[in-house]
Amino acid sequence: MGVLDYIWLGITAVFQGPELFDFFGIPISITLVMIFCGFLLGIVVGATPGLAGPVAMAISLPILISAFGYSPDALLPVLGFLIGIMKGATVGGAVPAILFNTPGTPDAYLTTLDGYPMAQKGKAKKALRVAHFSSVSGDTFSDLVLFVCAPFLAIIVESYLDLPEKTALLILSLSFIAAVVGGSPAKGLVSAGLGLLAVYIGTGEDFYPRLSMGTQELSRGFPIATAVLGVLIIGAVFKGLEELWIENRSKGTIQQNYQSGDQQLRTKDIRQLAPYIARSAVIGTAIGALPGIGSTLAATLGYTVAKRRYDINKTDDMPNFGDGAPEGIAATEAANSSVSGANLIPVLSLGIPGNAAAVFLILAADSIGGFNPGPAVFKFTPDIINPELVIAFGLFTTMFLANILNWTIGGIFMRSMGVMIHIPKQFLLPVVLLLTLTAIYVQETRMEAILFALGFGVLGFFMRSLSISPLPFVIAFILGGKLEDSARQAFSASGNDPFFLFTSPVAAVFMAISVGVIIFMTNKSNDVI
Amino acid sequence: MPEKSRSNLLLGLACIVFSLVVVFIWIPLDTDSGIIEKVRRRLTIGDAMAPSIAGLFILIGGFVLITFERNTRKQPNIMASNFKFIIRTLSILFLSLLIMRYSGPFLVAAVNMTLIEPLEYRLLRDTIPWKHIGYFIGGVVLIAGLIAQVESRLSVVSVGVAILATIILILIYDFPFDDLLLPPNGDV
Repeated sequence: MGVLDYIWLGITAVFQGPELFDFFGIPISITLVMIFCGFLLGIVVGATPGLAGPVAMAISLPILISAFGYSPDALLPVLGFLIGIMKGATVGGAVPAILFNTPGTPDAYLTTLDGYPMAQKGKAKKALRVAHFSSVSGDTFSDLVLFVCAPFLAIIVESYLDLPEKTALLILSLSFIAAVVGGSPAKGLVSAGLGLLAVYIGTGEDFYPRLSMGTQELSRGFPIATAVLGVLIIGAVFKGLEELWIENRSKGTIQQNYQSGDQQLRTKDIRQLAPYIARSAVIGTAIGALPGIGSTLAATLGYTVAKRRYDINKTDDMPNFGDGAPEGIAATEAANSSVSGANLIPVLSLGIPGNAAAVFLILAADSIGGFNPGPAVFKFTPDIINPELVIAFGLFTTMFLANILNWTIGGIFMRSMGVMIHIPKQFLLPVVLLLTLTAIYVQETRMEAILFALGFGVLGFFMRSLSISPLPFVIAFILGGKLEDSARQAFSASGNDPFFLFTSPVAAVFMAISVGVIIFMTNKSNDVI
Repeated sequence: MPEKSRSNLLLGLACIVFSLVVVFIWIPLDTDSGIIEKVRRRLTIGDAMAPSIAGLFILIGGFVLITFERNTRKQPNIMASNFKFIIRTLSILFLSLLIMRYSGPFLVAAVNMTLIEPLEYRLLRDTIPWKHIGYFIGGVVLIAGLIAQVESRLSVVSVGVAILATIILILIYDFPFDDLLLPPNGDV
């Protein structure tokens, strides 16, 4: 089996999977339909202030698993749906930012700087077209880098990294995520520490489940869904409700902008925007490939670099950055969208999630079984078929298909989503809360799980109140078990050497960087994600 | 000149105290094996190692907070209003979960007063309408209660939204799937 054979098998797994219906005699596989549905849902969710891609992914996961079961056949339809949401939500996020000056996500904030002034000048549709074109261009570039880099990186990891190095790499990832997400390395370390502590409760190798305080409830540990959805989604719902409670609902009315002039995106415009999109796509992809940094920094860097360039080349008749320059939207959207594909590089090649969307992809793969993201996925076995590699190329195919949807119908659908702003947040957030609690219960079928989730929700609420990013917590919770297992194995394999993390040069370098990145980032400050 | 926030200092101290309690009290008292154990003359990593590393993360985080990040800008404080909000929210949630848990069995008990042969909720929990009663009433109280808290009043619209949303959730989660149990039917 060569590389091309595997690529072909991945493509056929998507197109020739279980058939849902036929269209003029052409069988349409269920995976294709799921990508399409996920993509549309993603745009709707992205365009709804107060919601984001991870919320939709969290809520749909138990429904998808219940519908498709736990067989390997379920992997591509379920992951295809989640990838559709991820892609759709990325473009959808620009809609409320441009039309109503209400960014749904922190990275969409920079889109408001030029998008909303354009909308006020009667160029809303053009601004949306610029955002869509730039976002999809950045995303496509990032996906191409993912397809090329992930397999090679995985092969390098598998050939050069042994157990001590892999343990050190996991520590490096945690330290990196703690240091760069949210802007305060100290708070990131606290968040990661709490995530590790939570995952170690009720687990371990001894007969007695550690840290369970002798209780039956804690002896089984915290289910992953309660911790992840509690801190990430319920915590965000609590915080959103509190903001509304404090404001007691904004009494302001939404300003209607009337459109005038040329709303089309012409070839001349594209030529003018292309250098900004290209630069931002490279910045976003490079940043996205590092676990945990996320799209906010990419958007900020993309915008800053573009502004510097724009100010040099600007003529008098061009608006300033911040006054409705299409180049500002293009730079921001290309940068934050190009993070999403590249963020899957550490997921697929190392099994380390880099952002919230990747967390749900890993959760889905874990729940269904048969696909364990990591270096082993990319083993090109010549004699027998490696089913995980087929799924990996199937995933790449679903990403390509979602991009094609984005290029074709994404723009039209996105531009029709302005209506979502009218859904009042005070109605939406309680419904999302009940939806999330229901999603947790149908997976765990015990009220205890709901109580755990609410407990984690309160933790997430206070973390947000103190500007502690919940992402290091979630990623530490997911990686905690793997870190302990690999440390135990490495310790044993090194002949019980207590300095096993420092004896190999590669592991020692990883450990040095782990400490270095915390020290380096200590004085930096940023907004919490 | 605005008063300087001491939020990072207090948070850092709290983290240090918490991590010391975790490492020196909770872990030794509540874990069977130590950090390193000797099993059959071989050294192995014990169950206390991983949570101690977690405690170390929190300790280092707390230490960095009180030393290097003590005077950073933008230090949000935890206010009394944060506690007030979360206590009110949790009260609504626990009330709605109690209603969700017990309204089905309670209604069965009420119906049993009119019947000669008593019904048992456990046997009815997979039949309509019994299996939806607890979720429906509890769900409506949860959504309407939270909206009422935010709006400082209970409106007909919010109750309508709550009823509609709960029905839609039942339609999404229960009707298409035989194997999914809505709360509280896995517990009763």
